[in-house]
Amino acid sequence: MNKKILALVLACMMTLVACFAMAETLTVTAWDPNFNIPALEAAAADYKAEHPDFELVINTVSGSSDVELAMTTAGSSGDYSTLPDIVLFQDHYIQRYVADYPDAWQNLEGAAINWDDFGAEKLSYSTINGTHYGVPVDNGTAIFAYRVDILEQCGYTLADVTGITWDRFIEIGEDVWAKTGKYLLSMDGSGNDLPYMMLQAEGLSQFKDGEPFIVENEAMVQIISKLVEMIQKNILFLSNDWTGYTDGSIMGDQVAGVMNGNWIIPTISQVADNSGKWEITTLPTLTGAEGYAANGGSSLYITANCKNPDLAKDFLAKTFGGSTKTYDAALRDGGVITCCISAGQSDVYKEGVPFFNGQPIYSDIVEMGSHVPIVEQNDYHYTCRQYIGAAIQEILMGSDVATALQNAESQLRFAMDL
Amino acid sequence: MNKKKGMGLLARQQAAGWAFLTPATLLIFVMSFWPMVRAFIISFQTGSAANLKWAEPVTKNYQRMLQDKMFQTAMGNTFLYLVIQVPIMLVLAILLAQLLNNKDLKFRGLFRTMIFLPCATALVSYAIIFKSLFATQGLINSALVGIGILKENYNFLGNPASAKAVIIIALLWRWTGYNMVFFLSGLQNIEYSVYEAAKIDGANAWKTFWNITVPLLKPVIVMTGIMSINGTLQLFDESVNLTNGGPANTTITMSHYIYNNSLGQGVANFGYASALSFIVFILVAVLAAINLKVGDTRD
Amino acid sequence: MTEAPRKTNVSHIQLRLIPSYIFLIIVSLISVFPLYWMLTAATNTTVEVARGKIWFGTNLLVNYQNLIKQQDLWRAMGNSFLYSTVQTVVCLFVCSLAGYGFELYHDKHKDRLFSILLLAMMVPQVATLIPLFMMVSKMKLLNTVWAFILPSISTPFMIMMFRQNSRNFPVDVLEAARIDGESELRIFFNMYFPIMKSTYAAAAVITFMNSWNAYMWPRVVMKDNSAQTMPMLIANLSNGYAVDYGMMMLGVLFCSLPTIIIFFVLQKQFAEGITGSVK
Repeated sequence: MNKKILALVLACMMTLVACFAMAETLTVTAWDPNFNIPALEAAAADYKAEHPDFELVINTVSGSSDVELAMTTAGSSGDYSTLPDIVLFQDHYIQRYVADYPDAWQNLEGAAINWDDFGAEKLSYSTINGTHYGVPVDNGTAIFAYRVDILEQCGYTLADVTGITWDRFIEIGEDVWAKTGKYLLSMDGSGNDLPYMMLQAEGLSQFKDGEPFIVENEAMVQIISKLVEMIQKNILFLSNDWTGYTDGSIMGDQVAGVMNGNWIIPTISQVADNSGKWEITTLPTLTGAEGYAANGGSSLYITANCKNPDLAKDFLAKTFGGSTKTYDAALRDGGVITCCISAGQSDVYKEGVPFFNGQPIYSDIVEMGSHVPIVEQNDYHYTCRQYIGAAIQEILMGSDVATALQNAESQLRFAMDL
Repeated sequence: MNKKKGMGLLARQQAAGWAFLTPATLLIFVMSFWPMVRAFIISFQTGSAANLKWAEPVTKNYQRMLQDKMFQTAMGNTFLYLVIQVPIMLVLAILLAQLLNNKDLKFRGLFRTMIFLPCATALVSYAIIFKSLFATQGLINSALVGIGILKENYNFLGNPASAKAVIIIALLWRWTGYNMVFFLSGLQNIEYSVYEAAKIDGANAWKTFWNITVPLLKPVIVMTGIMSINGTLQLFDESVNLTNGGPANTTITMSHYIYNNSLGQGVANFGYASALSFIVFILVAVLAAINLKVGDTRD
Repeated sequence: MTEAPRKTNVSHIQLRLIPSYIFLIIVSLISVFPLYWMLTAATNTTVEVARGKIWFGTNLLVNYQNLIKQQDLWRAMGNSFLYSTVQTVVCLFVCSLAGYGFELYHDKHKDRLFSILLLAMMVPQVATLIPLFMMVSKMKLLNTVWAFILPSISTPFMIMMFRQNSRNFPVDVLEAARIDGESELRIFFNMYFPIMKSTYAAAAVITFMNSWNAYMWPRVVMKDNSAQTMPMLIANLSNGYAVDYGMMMLGVLFCSLPTIIIFFVLQKQFAEGITGSVK
């Protein structure tokens, strides 16, 4: 009899414990084991210090496209029960996914986050109709990293390449190629990051009032012409794909300059021999003003399937919402740089980085991030980039700039059903 | 009495026959035909996947297709792969099978195994292998430069013509052995005496092959032909993993383009993607029918 | 006396076959070389692979350690093995039953039904992806082996293969068993099954390979990390910011080995089974 009661009590307790444990567990889906996964682990450890029962289950997928696939399939079948509590989502797509699948998300109203502490450009992605949906994780601020030793060899300093026009950049690039045989820049021909970033540095977008802004866009025409000129003069190396860009051009030590979102830094740092030879600065522009742009970056979003949104909000607010502890560890373990302005002023951020010649690049990047102009976004961001890339290929194969861009614009208009 | 019992037995046999094929038939109807019907309905709709509406006009997606330059490119590419790769592969496969069917040949099992091995590798794996081999700094380039055929490393996957050639080479590598096995089996069904008779009649090897082997192999040729046409028209993995449709979408296939329209690029236009896939379905069906007809009339 | 002329005869034949040998050797080398390269790459560092080294290196253990550190290799192998085995068993059972039914009980109606089923061969996979996903997700089967196997349990190709091979099944055996009063299902299990062994072997090789190598559908329905398959794992390896070629090729090797081994083991029966299907 007693035994039976004891067993019953034990069973009840175990159920309770199980329920309790369940309540303190969150699942999250993310994709890069060398980048954002360590950041999430850092946040989990940070939160666990205060809440010992907390458990963060991280589901790793092969890329951001897998998260999008999961949202699309769940949204199209109207069944959100397969989603994790939180997803890491690419900034450029989120507006579309919130518009298409409004029931798939939970907003962050009521979360204890000081939104003013984040860069406005970054928040412009995750804020939809004035409502916050995402907590920023990494910072997509674009940097231009130069091999200062090579510049010096050719008679230039970092100051000589800061706040210059693209024409001046081409002159220097020709010089560098002639003297060292290295490209001053490289680009992934299938991803086409550069045109978008160069345009944003001018304060412009590939879209205007929801329509493609390519042929009529004077700056775009100039930028494409400059890029083609750079490729033809061996200033810009155009790779076939992403691997050719990272492994071939950057890790293969073929370039003296890299312009991309700052998440490219871990790739640059892979070549240990070049430690101390790199420094970063702002981007060239058409006018010669210092250019600021952002590329990539993602934020964390709570899905409709999260049974305990209060816990999720509290977790996000107390970690990526501004915790120096989380961000310092994320920087150390994954090279993830915050867009939270106050977190970017910690001692860890202010330290000089030996690989970059002692330059405190992290606080510099956070500072640069606050200058990035907000430009018009569109759901067809990547489609547009793809067609612009195709236009560059066409020009290289002999087509003229106007025709190629006209093709790109009409194909994009077709894709957008305009 | 006796008669009645016999009828019952026959009826029971009939019932058993139907029962045996019911699970498979039901599954095909539910897992292939019903989704196809659903896709057909969706092909008249537009909007996001969570909020599909009837298109205005209902045939909008089909009208749109006529102006879609990219789909025309994709269709052109797919047919190019079809027209070049399938005949080369089938001829090569028959030739290899014919050589391996010679009883005097030694190491037949070894040759057969080696030639078949490529199709044991996963599509994802072999795309990765070929991409690495044909990379600008890859092994093929080093070898060609080493021998002196190329002056400097050539960007095979970065130029439309050579990228298409790499896709075709990869397909030949992966599938020739597979088809060869079918031909080899077909040849083994042909009685050796038929050849002996031809030899006595004084037919040379070429005549024997053309007048005896090919007609007898016709059912196998039709079958492998349909399988290859179907496979090539639905070509997806190679386009995605080897070239990602590039450079500048010059190597993209129809299935890859459909995938990009539905799940690939974050822009889920299921209505349009479904309309496109119906066109693929019709193309495959028409080509298969032609293949069957041609196979018949040669009798 | 009798030995000598035969020898010259044989060597004469072999001499004539030299062009065949050369051609076959070239084709075999081309067929095997990429696989050989995969094998050597798995033992080299990423730099050595990039430099085009084609001999074995010493980095195998390091590659293996990196691989298991980054990915749950053995879980993915286990998953792939489980899914492929279940799919092979279920598919063979369902399709052979149907092939048997279509051939040995055939009449006008069944023949017509069969040609309708063949149409399913032409249904493009991309077209059915979304409707199928909706179905599977409504059945609450995501991340389970059933989601993985359902769309490919019954395939027209397999039914056709068994139907063709069933033509070799001796009808008098069937008649004799019926006279003995055996039930139809027992005849299938006790007679058909053992006689058709090589057809089953060929079908098993093809089904196992297809399901082991499946990528698009699993990517849609096996969302959870713990349900990951080998092709998905390889795709993960090639998608990072920086690709480690040695490690990746080791992954590719692990993914290719099981299908290659199965083919080797069932080779003879495979050839026999295919022979029956093209009669």
